[in-house]
Amino acid sequence: MNVKPLILTVTSNNRNLELLNQFLSKEGYQAIGASDLQEFISAMNQPIKINLGLIDITGFDSSIWNCCEQLKNQQIPFLIISPRQNAVIQNQSFVCGASNLLIKPLVIKQLFNLIKSLIEDLE
Amino acid sequence: MNLARLSTGIIGFDEILNGGFISKRAYLVRGGPGCGKTILGLHFLSAGISNSEPSLYISLGEPVEQIKTNGAMLGFDTKAITFLDLSPSADFFTEVQTYDIFSPAEVEREPTTQRIIESVESLKPKRVLIDSMTQFRYLCTDDFQFRKQVLSFIRFLLNADATVVFTSESSAEAPDDDLQFISDGVIHLHNSLEGRNISITKFRGSDFIAGLHSLRVTSQGIKVAPKLQTKLLKQEFILENISSGIPELDELLHGGIERGTVTILTGPTGVGKTTLGLQFMKEAAGRGERSVIYTFEEGEETLVARSQAVNIPIHAMITNGNLSVVRVEPLHLTHDEFANQVRHEVEENKTRIVMIDSVAGYRLAMSGADLASHLHALCKYLQNMGATVILVNETENITGDFRATELGISYIADNIIFLRYLEIYGEMQKAIGVLKKRLSNFEKTLREIEITRYGIKLGKPLVNLRKILSGTPEWVEKNDNTK
Repeated sequence: MNVKPLILTVTSNNRNLELLNQFLSKEGYQAIGASDLQEFISAMNQPIKINLGLIDITGFDSSIWNCCEQLKNQQIPFLIISPRQNAVIQNQSFVCGASNLLIKPLVIKQLFNLIKSLIEDLE
Repeated sequence: MNLARLSTGIIGFDEILNGGFISKRAYLVRGGPGCGKTILGLHFLSAGISNSEPSLYISLGEPVEQIKTNGAMLGFDTKAITFLDLSPSADFFTEVQTYDIFSPAEVEREPTTQRIIESVESLKPKRVLIDSMTQFRYLCTDDFQFRKQVLSFIRFLLNADATVVFTSESSAEAPDDDLQFISDGVIHLHNSLEGRNISITKFRGSDFIAGLHSLRVTSQGIKVAPKLQTKLLKQEFILENISSGIPELDELLHGGIERGTVTILTGPTGVGKTTLGLQFMKEAAGRGERSVIYTFEEGEETLVARSQAVNIPIHAMITNGNLSVVRVEPLHLTHDEFANQVRHEVEENKTRIVMIDSVAGYRLAMSGADLASHLHALCKYLQNMGATVILVNETENITGDFRATELGISYIADNIIFLRYLEIYGEMQKAIGVLKKRLSNFEKTLREIEITRYGIKLGKPLVNLRKILSGTPEWVEKNDNTK
């Protein structure tokens, strides 16, 4: 595999986005970041193959779920990152087709293991 | 085995540590806010600088600029110290650098450690101060990780041949017991309304002076006054009598008072206790010996004026360096600090007679601390050093039933000389007597004493009086043959 897998990261906090992309590139992934819905939608509509989505829902309103639906329609697997354990969020995540729900703060090692297995599943 | 010691930069503190920190070890300095942890650390680093040892200050909380400014104000050469600033910058707040996606331990541990490693490897410091280690607690996910992290961090520094002092913010809510176990020595700083203290509870590989020692933060940094160690400080001296210079008084005392003894001069107000003490000093000055009076009540000027008036040339004695009158302000010194001042007098200035005027004043000035034990320690020390101690004790009763002292300190004394008023034939007269003398016999009768402008005059022994301790003595035989 020569091409680095591309991961779409969405989070409303710039520092979070920066850190996340920094860690992803260190682990050998390409990352494109989106900090609002507009960027999220335009990233999805670009003619590139996104391997995985990491969606931090903190700070977004319910329209984030429509975007997630779009990912599902494009058959892009994605993980929902939530600030807290919440039954409604959990339910909504799986309804939209999330592969898993992660609660902040994330443990880096676990996150990468999860990403790795999801991407390997696709291949 | 003699381990190499590193000075802490504070004289009294080195003394407590038996010479200083053992090199290539890690020491914990703990205390609440405002205890002087940072200043103590700066002393440690500055001492390194003056030995041309590279010194590194790793700041995790306070901005370096502020430490430098404050340090310079206390006279530290902060320019010579290398600082590693790991404190958060203002950008963290203004540029919204907060994050929550990962824990701080995951994000910041690595860059922090990286910067420390770089500084240590480039500077190769001999002394490192980490202020404060508490910050690392937040960079570790749990207690186990923290302990492991700190241990390995310290190991890294020690392997680089550094001696490490690290501070810890301790409070009941955030205990730092784990750090105490890890370190090679634990130094506690206390700050209370009664004053500041320093104590040591752990010092691997060395003895230390236990207990609380006074600490003061001055404009030149920290001053530590170690507790008096009476056992350790000793000096050979000849046990000889020192004369008062008044033949009758020497007769009463069977030769005078001995060196290395404690004498209590006790009596009611105005009876001449201080003057009597000064008489011994006058005589000592004649032999070229130095004395010192610690006066807790009277100012130097009044003491000088009234002594001159009774033929004690106190002014000349002071000018010749045979006497020093030290006025001790109430509540200004702690007993440790006072004891160290006395020590300096005895060890540096070779003072042979020390007078404390008065015991009640001493108690008041030392913020009501445990009088008997501190006075006991001080007197024991002075005895070991061969100094003669005179304690002036004021009794409240003018006449009436006799009590040697009212402060429960009689047991300290080797000699008790009492002065009192007597009513004889309807006249008020002063009398002097000896109640106790450990090293020799003494006259068991009273003598009349008078303080005139030619000096102290003592009469013949008042024999044939009875009830002499009651204040209203009676003649045994009514015929007046003594007068």
